[in-house]
Amino acid sequence: MAVSRSVLVVDHSDETREVLRTVLKRRGLNILEARAARQGLDMAREYQPDLIVLDLEAETIKDAGGPLEFDRPDGRQRPVILLGTARRQAAGLPGAEFVSKPYHYGPLIRRIEELLESAR
Amino acid sequence: MASFFVIRGNDQGNKFDLNSDRLEIGRDAGNDIQLHDQEVSRSHAELVREGRRYFLRDLGSSNGTYVNRRRITGRYELNSGDQVQMGKTLILFTGPSDPSSTHLLDNIDIVAHQQHGDNSRILRSMSQAEGSQLFGMEPGTAETSWLARARSNLQVMYRTALAVSHTLDIDQLLHRILTLIFDWVEADRGCIMLVHPDTGKLQPKVHFNRRGKPTGERLVISQTILDYVMQHNEGVLTSNAQEDERWNPAASIVDLGIREALCVPMQGRYDVVGVIYIDTAVPPHRMLQKASGGSGNKFTEEHLKLLIAVAHQAALAVEDTRYYSAMVQAERLAAIGQTITSLAHHIKNVLQGIRGASFLIQDGLQRHDEEEIRQGWEMMERKQQLISNLVMDMLTFSKEREPEMLPAELNQVVGDIVELMHLRAKEKQVQLDWLPDLAMPTLTFDPEGLHRAVLNVVTNAIDACENSEPHGIVRVSTLYLPNEKLARVTVEDNGVGIPADEIDDIFSLFVSTKHNRGTGLGLPVSQKILKEHGGEIRVESEVGRGSRFYLEFPAILPENNNASDSRVTQHHAR
Repeated sequence: MAVSRSVLVVDHSDETREVLRTVLKRRGLNILEARAARQGLDMAREYQPDLIVLDLEAETIKDAGGPLEFDRPDGRQRPVILLGTARRQAAGLPGAEFVSKPYHYGPLIRRIEELLESAR
Repeated sequence: MASFFVIRGNDQGNKFDLNSDRLEIGRDAGNDIQLHDQEVSRSHAELVREGRRYFLRDLGSSNGTYVNRRRITGRYELNSGDQVQMGKTLILFTGPSDPSSTHLLDNIDIVAHQQHGDNSRILRSMSQAEGSQLFGMEPGTAETSWLARARSNLQVMYRTALAVSHTLDIDQLLHRILTLIFDWVEADRGCIMLVHPDTGKLQPKVHFNRRGKPTGERLVISQTILDYVMQHNEGVLTSNAQEDERWNPAASIVDLGIREALCVPMQGRYDVVGVIYIDTAVPPHRMLQKASGGSGNKFTEEHLKLLIAVAHQAALAVEDTRYYSAMVQAERLAAIGQTITSLAHHIKNVLQGIRGASFLIQDGLQRHDEEEIRQGWEMMERKQQLISNLVMDMLTFSKEREPEMLPAELNQVVGDIVELMHLRAKEKQVQLDWLPDLAMPTLTFDPEGLHRAVLNVVTNAIDACENSEPHGIVRVSTLYLPNEKLARVTVEDNGVGIPADEIDDIFSLFVSTKHNRGTGLGLPVSQKILKEHGGEIRVESEVGRGSRFYLEFPAILPENNNASDSRVTQHHAR
């Protein structure tokens, strides 16, 4: 088996990160965590995760101080799942999946697995 | 229903319905009307209802009870619009509404001209502009002493009426205005009609009969005259006597007399908001005077002038009152909207956490992973604690909740909180110190309320110094100040601090600086509880250095330490 796949979770909520970390780890994934968008951007550049789950609270976007560019250096699109009540346009990520809050974890986890599978 | 409305002081905005025969007013929680004002005595005054009348009496308070700035002695009968002052608290009294105004439409007929035998004609008209200047002009030599006196008295009374109009409802305001008119004009009947904002039709609002006159009689007003007044914006003097005909002293007409009326527009800043109508019967002997060449009319041009001026002032007051009610309504809606948004947001976040916890348990059950189940369960516990805190905070603002004052140990209450918060502090790597004052005596207070108040402040302190270097420190201490008769809980942190321009806001409802974690209820709840104890929360803060919260309240020793305190205890035991 190749290197295990990695997911970056950018969410200010400790609980959300805890749930995703616990569940995704048990599914053999590597988890990277960031509390805010700016920190998330830095981590995305450094670790090049296979998928990003990004919480879209208004202050998260403001905190990033600009458009959220999670592009991969090889130009291939990286799957991004947005969580939030804010409009998806706010993030300037047209290709991203949008999951509106409050969401159920079951479908979210399944979607993460599907996206990782298809991007393989 | 009669009410007390607090227009100044700590209880500002509170409205108390006066619906029992005897109400006690004071600082103690045991009073029917509790005022959170240090200058109000524990048991300050009583309000007694007798029928539709209300009597206020001071109960030997230290600072006295004032009505319209005058200290009262003995029983004082309150009138609608009176301002009652106790300590720093100013209260507006609104009396019971007039039951006679409820069947208005039954008493007033607006009829087309020539119907029902009403032959009123306009004898004199005067433009609104001409009459409304009455209050503005210097006392002229042209006016009679009656008009001069009426003018100066009405001016004074108007100022009073206008001053209170902001909090009285429109019907009460109109009733006052009509009462004023009756004091100065010898009218038998009168009514004020307002233009309905939607239909544009005139609607009778208040109506009045001079005392001693039969009240069953219907007031018949000609539609033509009303139309004329509204369209021309002119006040008119009318009479149903036939002018062209020679006075015919036929016995039947002498018996009936004739009726004179004044009808004037209520011109506000922009529109005519309604009309004022008054009439009087001219008794037969006056008609005989007229028949013999004298001035038989009871109403004159001066009456017309006065009434136009009064109507203008009344219209301004009506406009102000409407504007004010609209503003209050808008503010109320905005506040409700803000409340709902804020609560929905908070509950949504808690719900998200509960779903996470529930998913962990479900996933753990499927995988037979006990560790995952435990993790989910712990998260669930934290979330239900959050919801429980939210509900308790919300209940602090409910009317039903009353502080339960009983002898309790402050160190015990605060110590419990420190123990409770120990785990949370540890998770966030915050050092939590506890320094109780061992000389703290048993005090009378609401232990549950104080628990909430201190808990909220300690929670904030821990959150504030989560990222402090090298690590966060929260220091909780108690202090008994026997000379000042105060008990104090101090909560210090080395956290982010509060900018000077935000300090004033921190006790406002739904203002949270903690983004998604805060409900914006915590500090307002704490402050409210301290005020219920006759105390307060003070804050010192420096950005980057940390904050210090002082929760202070009067130290009341239980049992018979002094006479007045023992009375208080009995009161609460009730």
